[in-house]
Parts: sequence; C-alpha cells; structure tokens
Amino acid sequence: MSLPSSVYLGPQIMTINKREIEIQRENAAMVGLPYDFLVNPLGAVRSTFEKAISSGSNPASFDGKDWGALQPFQHFLFDQNGLSKVPILNASSAKWLQPNTLVRFRGMIQDMLGNEFYVGAYKDGSTWKTTKFMDSSQCPTGFSPDMRIWERRVLYCVPVPGQNSWTESSRLGESNNSAEGTSENRQKRCRMDENGVDHMDILAPSDELQNSSSGKKQKDEQLSPCSQNISTMATSRSTACNTARDFLPCIVKIYDTAESELKLNDVFEFIGVVTLDTELKVDKDDYDEFSNGLSEDLSVQFPPDMVPRLHCVIHRKLGVHDFLHTCHVLEPTTHRIKEIRTALLNHLTIALGNDAVAAQYLLLHLLSKVHARVDSMAVGKLSLNLTGFNKESMSIFGNQLRLTVKNLLPFTEYIPLTVEYLNTASLAPKKDYEINRLVPGVLQLAEGSHLMIDETQLEVGTLSLLGVENARLLKNLMELQKVEYDFKYYKMDMTTDVQLLILSEGKSNILPADLVVPFQPSALGSTAITDMDALEAWRWYLSNVRLLPHSIESEIQRVVENDLVAAKQADRNLGSQDLSRLLTIGRLICASYGETSLSLEHWQMVKELERLRRERLR
Amino acid sequence: MASDSSPLNFDAGPSSPDDSFSSPIGNTVSSSGDGYRRRSRRRSSTPSEMATPPRQRSRLVSSENTPTAKEPRSRRRGGGRRASGNDVPPVAATPSSTDDIPPSTEPGDGDDMDEDHPTFVWGTNISVDDVKGAIIRFLRHFRDRQASQSEGDFHTEGKYAEVIKRVLENEGDSLDVDAQDLFNYDADLYTKMVRYPLEVLAIFDIVLMEMVPQINPLFEKHIQTRIFNLKTSTSMRNLNPSDIERMVSLKGMIIRCSSIIPEIREAIFRCLVCGYYTDPVAIERGQISEPTICLKEECQARNSMTLVHNRCRFADKQIVRLQETPDEIPEGGTPHTVSLLMHDKLVDTGKPGDRVEVTGIYRAMSVRVGPTQRTVKSLFKTYIDCLHIKKTDKSRMVADLTEAENRLGGNVDDLSFDEEKVWISLRLWVQYFWVILVFYTHAFFIEMQVEELKELSKKPDIYDRLTRSLAPNIWELDDVKKGLLCQLFGGNALKLASGASFRGDINILLVGDPGTSKSQLLQYIHKLSPRGIYTSGRGSSAVGLTAYVSKDPETGETVLESGALVLSDRGICCIDEFDKMSENARSMLHEVMEQQTVSIAKAGIIASLNARTSVLACANPSGSRYNPRLSVIDNIHLPPTLLSRFDLIYLILDKADEQTDRRLAKHIVSLHFDNPEGIEQDFLDLHTLTSYVSYARKNIHPKLSDEAAEELTRGYVELRRRGNFPGSSKKVITATPRQIESLIRLSEALARIRFSEWVEKGDVLESFRLLEVAMQQSATDHSTGTIDMDLITTGVSASERLRRESLLSATRNIIMEKMQLGGPSMRLSELLDELKKKNPDNEVHLNNLRNTVSTLASEGFVEIRGDNIKRI
Repeated sequence: MSLPSSVYLGPQIMTINKREIEIQRENAAMVGLPYDFLVNPLGAVRSTFEKAISSGSNPASFDGKDWGALQPFQHFLFDQNGLSKVPILNASSAKWLQPNTLVRFRGMIQDMLGNEFYVGAYKDGSTWKTTKFMDSSQCPTGFSPDMRIWERRVLYCVPVPGQNSWTESSRLGESNNSAEGTSENRQKRCRMDENGVDHMDILAPSDELQNSSSGKKQKDEQLSPCSQNISTMATSRSTACNTARDFLPCIVKIYDTAESELKLNDVFEFIGVVTLDTELKVDKDDYDEFSNGLSEDLSVQFPPDMVPRLHCVIHRKLGVHDFLHTCHVLEPTTHRIKEIRTALLNHLTIALGNDAVAAQYLLLHLLSKVHARVDSMAVGKLSLNLTGFNKESMSIFGNQLRLTVKNLLPFTEYIPLTVEYLNTASLAPKKDYEINRLVPGVLQLAEGSHLMIDETQLEVGTLSLLGVENARLLKNLMELQKVEYDFKYYKMDMTTDVQLLILSEGKSNILPADLVVPFQPSALGSTAITDMDALEAWRWYLSNVRLLPHSIESEIQRVVENDLVAAKQADRNLGSQDLSRLLTIGRLICASYGETSLSLEHWQMVKELERLRRERLR
Repeated sequence: MASDSSPLNFDAGPSSPDDSFSSPIGNTVSSSGDGYRRRSRRRSSTPSEMATPPRQRSRLVSSENTPTAKEPRSRRRGGGRRASGNDVPPVAATPSSTDDIPPSTEPGDGDDMDEDHPTFVWGTNISVDDVKGAIIRFLRHFRDRQASQSEGDFHTEGKYAEVIKRVLENEGDSLDVDAQDLFNYDADLYTKMVRYPLEVLAIFDIVLMEMVPQINPLFEKHIQTRIFNLKTSTSMRNLNPSDIERMVSLKGMIIRCSSIIPEIREAIFRCLVCGYYTDPVAIERGQISEPTICLKEECQARNSMTLVHNRCRFADKQIVRLQETPDEIPEGGTPHTVSLLMHDKLVDTGKPGDRVEVTGIYRAMSVRVGPTQRTVKSLFKTYIDCLHIKKTDKSRMVADLTEAENRLGGNVDDLSFDEEKVWISLRLWVQYFWVILVFYTHAFFIEMQVEELKELSKKPDIYDRLTRSLAPNIWELDDVKKGLLCQLFGGNALKLASGASFRGDINILLVGDPGTSKSQLLQYIHKLSPRGIYTSGRGSSAVGLTAYVSKDPETGETVLESGALVLSDRGICCIDEFDKMSENARSMLHEVMEQQTVSIAKAGIIASLNARTSVLACANPSGSRYNPRLSVIDNIHLPPTLLSRFDLIYLILDKADEQTDRRLAKHIVSLHFDNPEGIEQDFLDLHTLTSYVSYARKNIHPKLSDEAAEELTRGYVELRRRGNFPGSSKKVITATPRQIESLIRLSEALARIRFSEWVEKGDVLESFRLLEVAMQQSATDHSTGTIDMDLITTGVSASERLRRESLLSATRNIIMEKMQLGGPSMRLSELLDELKKKNPDNEVHLNNLRNTVSTLASEGFVEIRGDNIKRI
C-alpha cells in the first residue's frame, strides 16, 4: 500500500538531516556563510554567482539556466528543515515582512502574465553582477555587449479560492517560530491561539463581534454550529470578512522553469525573495502612452504596495494534503483507516440527521477525484445531488452540512443559486483585453475544491443571456468537469477537478448530478466536534485516501462485467454513464477502506447501496 | 572622425524608438542612412560576439534614455532626408568602397565611411558589398521555376524585375519579397537577412533605390522592401532573448488595435511676433525641440515660436496586440500575447479578431522608470516591428464579402442578401465576423501540406479510415458515421440558369434510444465542422434559430440579428433534442432545409438571408424509448413535411444484445482500471481530419460520370419499382424525387472523400447502400419488411396500415367467394354490405373500399368500371 510521501517524510528528514548537518558544518567551516538565507537571500544568490564566475564560467552559459544558486537554497530549505522558518506571505504578514527577505507564498496560479526580458547579468567595471531575483537594478542603461538578457515568467497568483482558515492557522503558528513578528502579528497569533487552532474558522470573525462572551462559551458555540445562533446571515458576513482580510494576491516571477511545469489553476508554494514596494512609482504625468501600449505596466495595474512581487527561487506543487497540519502523522494501517472511516461516517450521519445512506454517499462524494479523462469523459467524478430539502430543512441541515464540509476539506466554495445570481454572477473567467488580464470567475477553482450549490433558493424567473450561459457553464462543469474560459474571440475549455454537491428540493435538472439521493433526515443531532485529533484524522483521511491507486483482479472483473451486462439487460435505460458510475462507486468504497483492489465484498456493497438509493427514488 | 569618437551619433537621426522602427518600413530612405550610421558606429566600437544589445541600444534605448551630444551633421541630414519625399530622392549613401555611388549621395555620408574600407558590418559576418551584390543578383535574376518553365525562353526578365516594374507602373510604394524565393535563390543571403534583418533590409532598400532610377528616372517615391513568408514560423511561446533583433514570423490573432497615433516627423514653427516660418524641424529622440528664439535676424523674439500644425508632417503609427491562436496553447496555459508596431501603410490592415501571419523584427526596449531618472528597470518591453502582415485567410474573407451568387460550388463562404431591399446594420457584420472566428477556432487549418492530404486520399481504405477516425470513442454505428462523413464533405450545390437551385448540404436526423451516444456524435461533428452552431431544441426558439429584428435601445435603429441557422451558413447546425423543440421553431426549419434561406418580413425589413446549412438533428423517440410496436412515424413523432427534408434518417436503436452489452461493460471496466490511453488505433487525428475535410470542400467539385449517372437512374427505377410489387397499395412509393437528390448529394460527397473529381459507380452504389441502411431502419414497415417511404412522406400509422391490409384481404376474399372469373360485375355498395356482414365490428367506409379495390385493380385482380367491379 502506498500512501503519499508526506506521511513517511518525517523520519526520512530526520535521518538525512544528521548527515547533512555534518556536511553543512564542514562547508561552513571551509567557506563560511556570509549571508543568512532568511534575511539576505540575495546575498546567497550573489555569492553563488560570484563563485560560478570566479570558477571561470562565462555568464553567457547561464542563459536560461541556474548557475548553482538553487542548490544551497534547496539544502537549507529541505535538508536543514529551514522551510518551516520561512515566513508565509499573506495579508497580515505583508505588513511587517522586510523586503528582499526570503518568504513563501501559497497560492493558485490565477493568470499568466507572459514572459519578461530582463538584464540578467551585466558587467560593472570589470566584474560581472547579476540581477536575477531582483526587481530593478542600478545596471547601466541601454545595451552593451557586456550584458546578458534573460527571460522569466510572470505569474499572477492568488490565495486558493475558498481556502478555509483552519489550513492557515497552523501555518501562521509555524511561521512565528522564526519571524520576529510585530506586535500586530502577535496579536493575531494570540487571537488565533485563543480560538484554538482548528476551530470552525467561519465563526472566528463573529467571535470578534461578540466579545462579550467568555472564551469557554465561545468555544461551545463554535462547537455546536447547529444551534440557532448561526444564521445564514452571520455566515455570509463572516465569509465576506474572511475574503477581505485574507486576500493578498502576489506576482510571482519564475526563473528557468519548463513551461509545462506550471499550469493555470495549479496550487504552488513559491519560496523566494519578496519585494513589496521597492519599485519606483511611475509618475502620473509621464504616463507614456506609447510604451504602455506596447505592454501593460504591471505597476499600474498591480500597485506594488497592494500586490507584492516574489522572485521565486524554489517552487513546489501542493496537493490538498499539503494544507493539513503536517504535525499529525498517522500510521496508515488498514485497521486505523477503517476506524477513521467509521468515525467519520458516524459524524456525517449525525450531520445529515441520521440518514445513513446519504452519509455513505456523501463520504464517497468527498473522496471522489477525477483520475482519468477519456475523450470528453471525466472518469472518477461523483457529483451528488441531495434532494428533499426545503427552506426549513435547508437552514438546519444545509448549514450544518456546509460547516461540516468546510471543516473537513481545505478548499470549499458555496453558491446559493438564485435567478438573480445566475443573471449577474460571472462564473467563467474572462479575458479582458483592455488590461490584458484574465478576470477571475467563481468557477476558476483549484484542483480538489469542493463546491456546494444550494438550489433550494431558486425561484421561478427569467434568465438573461448571461444567466443561460452561466447555467450552461455549471452543467458543463457537472458533466465534463470542464469550465469554458471566455477569451472573447474564442472559448477555451479548461479541465477542472471539483467535487460538486447540490442541495435541492427535487431532482435538479439544471445541474444533472451523477447521483441523486433523496435526503431523509430522522433526527436532529449535534455535530459538535469534541475530539480535535479525530477531526485532524478525518482531514488526513479525506485528503490521502483518495490518492490511493486502484486495481481489479481478473476474477472480480469478470463478476463485475457479468453484473453490468445483467443490469443492462434488465433495464435498457441504463446508459454507459450509469454503469460507469457503479464502477466509480466501487472504486471509492474500496478506497474508503484504505484498500487498493476491488473485492467482491465491496462490489456487493455497491449494489446494495445502489439498491437502497433506487428504493428511495421510487 | 566625429562619428567614431561618439558611438552614439546615429542616435540623433532616427532618434526615438518609434522613429527608428520605421526605418525598414515607413521611411526607407532613413533606413539606408541608418544602416550606414550603424555600420560606422560598429566599426568604431569594440567587437564582441554579442551583436544584438548594442544595436538595441542604438536604436531604441539610448535615444530615449541617454542624452547624447547632438550631431549636427546627422541632424541636418535627417532634415534633408525628411524633405526627400518632396524633393529629388537623395539616394542615401552607398558604401564608399563601391564605385557606383550615385551622384545624389550626400557628402556627409561619404565622410562617415571614408576612413577604412568597410568590408563587414560590425559584429556580423555581413559584407556590405557581398550582400549588395547578392541582392542585386537576386532581384535581377530570380525566376520562378514554374513561371520560367511555362513561359519558355523568351521570358528573360526575372520575377522581381517584373514585379518592380509593375510596382512602378502602379505607383506603389512597396515591394513584397517572398522569403522562400530568396531562400531558393541564395540560402546564405536568406540566413543573413533573418539573422541581421536591419542591415540586410537597409541594403535591400539601397539596391532598390539604385534600381528604380534606372527603370524610371522620374519615379519619385521610395520603394520599401517587405519580406514575407519566412521558411520557419516561430511560435509566440518560443520567442526568447536570442530572437531579439532577428526576423521572425508569427501567427496569431489580433486582439486589440490602438487608435492611430499620429507621430510627428517634422515640425514647422511660426513666430508669433513676426510671422516667420522656420525650416522643418526634425524629430530628436522622440521630441521636437521648439526654438526659443526666432531665427529671423531682425526679430529674434524670445519664446515666440508656435507650432503650425497643418504644416507639420505626421506619420501613422499603431500598436497592435497579437495573441496566440487557441491551438498553440498548451494544456493548462493561457495565451501569450505580443505587441506589434505598425507603420504607415500597415496601419489598420488588421482588425481585432483577424488571424494574421506577421513578419517582422523582434525588438526589445528597456523600461524607463521616469523621464528624468536615469535608473532603468532591468526589464525590457518587447515588440515586433512589423514588416509584413498577411491575413491568414484573406482570400477567404474577400471572397466572403464580394462573392457573387452566381458562383457555383458550396465552398466559399458568403453571406449574401438582398442589398437593394435591406439595409443590414453593422451589427450583423460583427456577428458575421464572429462566425468566421468560430469557424477558425473550430477548424483551424494546420498548415498540412496539400501533398500529404493527397497522399492520404490515395489510400485505398481512406473511406474506412475516415470513418474510423470520426468519433473514435463511439463504437459501432459505422453506417451512421459514414452518413455523417458524407454530411461533413457535402455535395455540390447547383444553381440552374432558370433560377432553380439544388442544395448540396446533406441533412441528417438521428433518432434513437437514450444513451446511444447521439449527443456525443453531435458534439463531435460540431467540433469538426467548419462552421457550426450547436443548439439544444429545448433552448431554441424560432427567432433564435433564424433571425430577428431588434431595435437598438440607443439609436432606435432596427437591426437584424442572425440566429443559429444563419450563423452556421455553410456549416452544420447541430440541433440536439429536436423532438423537444416547439412546433413553431420547427416549422421555421422548413424553408431553411430545402430553400436554404431565411426570410424575414417584419418591422419594415424584408430580407432573405442565406442559411446554407446542413442540419444535423437528433431526437428521442416519442416515448423516449423506441417502441417497436409503433410505426417509425409514431416513434419519431415529427411532422412528415419536415422528415422528408432529411436526406438520411438514422434510427439508432439500443437492441438488447448481450454481445454489445458485454463489450460495453468491458470497455467501461477498462476505462476505470486500465490506462485508457493505452489503446491506440490507426486513425487520423482531429487536425488532419479537419484539414482533410476543409481541403476537399474547398477544392474538390465532383461531377457525375456517365456510368454513375446510368447507375443512379437504374438504381432509382429499381428503388421505385420495389414498392410496386403486387399486393401493396398504390400509394406506396419507395422513393421520391427528393431521394434522388439525396442520392446525388451522397455520391458527390463520397467522391469528395476520395478527392476525386468524378463520381463513379462505386460512389453511387455506396450511396444507395447508405440510403437503404438508413431507410431500412427508419422506414421499415414492421408488418411487411418493405421500404416504405409513404410512412415518412404521408405519415400513415401502423394501425391504419394494418386496417388497410385486413380490409384488402377481406375484400379479396369476398370477391373470390362471390364473383366468378369473368362473371357478372358487382356494385361497390354491395361489396360494402358484404364486408359489413363479415366483420360487424369493423367500420368500413366506401372511400376506403374504393381505395382497396383500386389496389386490387392495379394488381390485375379486378376491373373497375364506374361503380362496378368485375373480376378478371
């Protein structure tokens, strides 16, 4: 059984570290480190550059290549465990972070601003100097033969849409270890600490509003979200607060990286040199129409004091599991996974008012992931439509469900579907050629995001042209896991991997989900999370189990095939999608037990589950 | 030597970057000067292997950012050059080493290069003389291989010598040089040109300048060289620092055009005090310095000079944004853009949305932080100095707009309308352009060699191969795919002199059970077809499909907005869920599908818009699942009038076949467990298929061979006769004239698939087979198993048919019983009574009986005389 490497990483790092530290000590003794990676990363860059030059390399040979600057960084960050000391760049830390220090930024590539040519190295007098990983330089104007022009990619990154703040809180705590935070930051940390690391983030702002209550009481309130004091209004307000507070985009400049490595909507951690507002502001009077016509001036569109620049030294792709609290290492035994599964299923069942069938499906839905694309078909997606909601049950179970999901998954979004929303919202990202930017849309989501759509609020009404277009986009997303980006002169399909949960009164025809499960709650339970360790375990479970490989033995395969044929013979209305769905459910059930091969038992469970569901549909 | 001591001297002339770009394009005289100044500078500076940045600096950067000592000489020369448009062209310097210096050479230039013999342009391997000689040879002696072959020996002049003459005759101002020609003639020169475009182009211009007076001494304009059609075209994504200052060729789509920027070239000032006009003041580093003192000796007033706008000389400039075409964008990327700088004649040659191929020089300009600050961001802005712009489908666009209706063949897109009667607002055109874009997006021609396509077409299994390549993920349904293939290729539209026209578009209806991948087929065709609109029946209204008149809320003007069918003119309009479409909307299709026009008469607009579209519709049977007990008509549940307009109606039935089910199950399981990409088959990729179809549609216009025509007639007669077997009603006709048209179209399409100009017998036979396959499915009378077009054309239900048949047999029995061969005749009313006696619960009308009897009569069973029947 192979689980993602993060699980095992701990001990490995330890063993490597001992060896590495010794090597490092030797190196330090020999060369000495005239720079500090955190405070003066450019010093490190410079020293490696000088070293490379002095060893006789021609700067021309560094075109599009690294001269060895990355290696010390890699060593520092990963071998010496320096990564956790690197402060995270976000809205709050941006206020106190020093320019030209090493920071890291976790975000989604929202737009690509093309390539940028810059003077990479130039000769100052008789010595070569480099301006790599820097914004501006004192290099001589104009061209000279003693100058190398290099290229870098400019990416516009934003915090991952729908990122829940429990993912950050631990990070922030980590970063505090190293950074000499200002009082402001400390305050924030205090607050976060007070609230507890993994509380329902959504309530944090509302806590601030009701500071009258004691900490303990607050905690109780947080932990019983089904209690009536959480109205939808409060939640919506708090999310608004959240976005305003946390939103810090960042322009990331990438050096010497293959284009295919970084894709739109990928989530990355960029570690590099931050420059905040060092760029000289452009004089308004000198707005040169001509030169600005040639290319948009970034500093006009993205004022440097609002959007920091990060000159990326090292970047790494992040999966959903990277947003968990890594301190929590679980032994991935099948037994343990089963335990977690049972507990989580229980939790979901309570959240769904004791509807065990719906909880089963919800669990599978939360584990689903597109794992292959064949032509236009996305294999592995499992969108779920819970029907039978009305206004009242929505306010209870809908919110409860929403909070539950929010607490379990790092990226969650929620769309209250109304006619007005459809007619006004910009769901698809759209290219604005005036500013040459991709204007984000609601559906520009990172891989592995969860999207809950509340259809109960949809009333009779007329859709405008935009509304029809939006409905079509949603339908496409449901069916193909693709979002059409509007490039004005043409549209471009972008593949996504979003888990879609629809809550509706009857079966949703606007949003045809893979699974329609009538929701039948029988009791009102409390989803209070008493055990933080359990919550951690659930998050770990959801993000890791879905990455399990899956296979089938030929014997089972035959059984499955026979069953499919029999099902098809019995009901001619079954299409290939229905059959495909059965297999997806099978895979997910199998994975939910932490197993990698479909067993007969699991297959029986699939059939049983489907039977129960069909009974309800009748 | 001043120029040598100050390497920046040349900055003074073409000072601003904007000015300097124009050198190869806008103002060629200057460019020649440029070349020299550059050259002289190069000689002066230290040689290095990096040639690019210095030039960069000279032309763009330093001029803006580095104040340099003004070179009075070059400035003066700049002024003179500018005046050149009006005066005798001062043919700028030729190298001093060459002996054919034209007399008009300015002495200043001579100074520039007199000191040592300039054999090589600095930093390059360009020897001016060599290059010049090579260019002269090329222009004089290059001959098109084909042209020289066809025109024989007496044709002695080179291709470009001819072209130059023509340009002179037309008073043109540019000479288009095909880089392919250059490459074929002198590969070395081509390489040099690509590598050092500024230098070589400058020499090109000098050569031209020398040649022109030899041909026509009175010709005053200057001719610029515009290079196009480079051998290799760079992808926008791959432009990198090493491409700076090289000639590149890019393909892309224009997304934005700036307004035209008038760029001042020369200014004339007037003194407010004395009214003295200055000499033209040339541009310096992108700025014109206003004289502070009146130059008139008597006046010498301070700060009195004012710009006289209408005596200044301006040049047009435009910044255009070019974006990658969608097919070049890798997965998970956003399109790249690049700026183009257009000058003079090139301004406004492209509009947003045009697909163009641009040849130009890739340039970079450093970003200045402020006007007064010396600090420069270490960044460069890059752009392409445009030399030549070619609309990738210019011919097509032109054809689109001007093509006359009399043109045969459904291969050039056009949208024609009755111009006398209608005024169609711009909006329609905008939409129309949008349609063209849609087309380009979906069916972008990859520049596949025609040869390759032809090669492909010669393969014996091309028909099967194309069928396989069509929606390869949908199996079975081979005959449906073949029909769809025919639809893609289309038949020949024909317009007779009498005005009657026959459509070439093939309409197909797919009726089938749910889950038989009809929609996928539709989507696929939509993706593939040159111009397609995909609509869903439920979401389409009549006006949405055809066209509607709307009022502009601001101006109150009535405008015509075209709907899906008009928009997919010359394409395929895919309509999903045809059965769920409203009656009203469907009825709009009648005109479209046979007459291929959309007529509008409302709000003072009477228009007939072309909608030469193939319709591909798919529908579910009326009961959502095909009911074998009902007739096809009842199952399809569409008005027969509409049905008859479909050339092929496929019934895609999901038969309860274990074999197929098992295959499906296997496929789905493998989808989930195996690597689905592992199963590769021998089929053409989408691009090849698209270009194949496009090429065939454009270039192949098959005609019926005699043999094929004969076969067609024979087959048709046969088809008709088949319905006339004894026992069937007289009303049963197997084929209608509409069917023969369909057959012709199908055969033509089949010939097209083979790239054949002639429809052969095989094509006709295949088209019969296709029709039969489709018809057998869609028009099988389930009681008799015969092909029954009556079902589709008149909509007789199965029960009605059954009733008729029982009546027929009952009548026959009675006649057999009651009447003797050659015996006395019987009245119809008597027969009716007899029938009623036999089947008391069956209601029989006299009319029905009359029909039945006449059927019997046609069989030769009875004879009718008035109301009397006689058995014979």
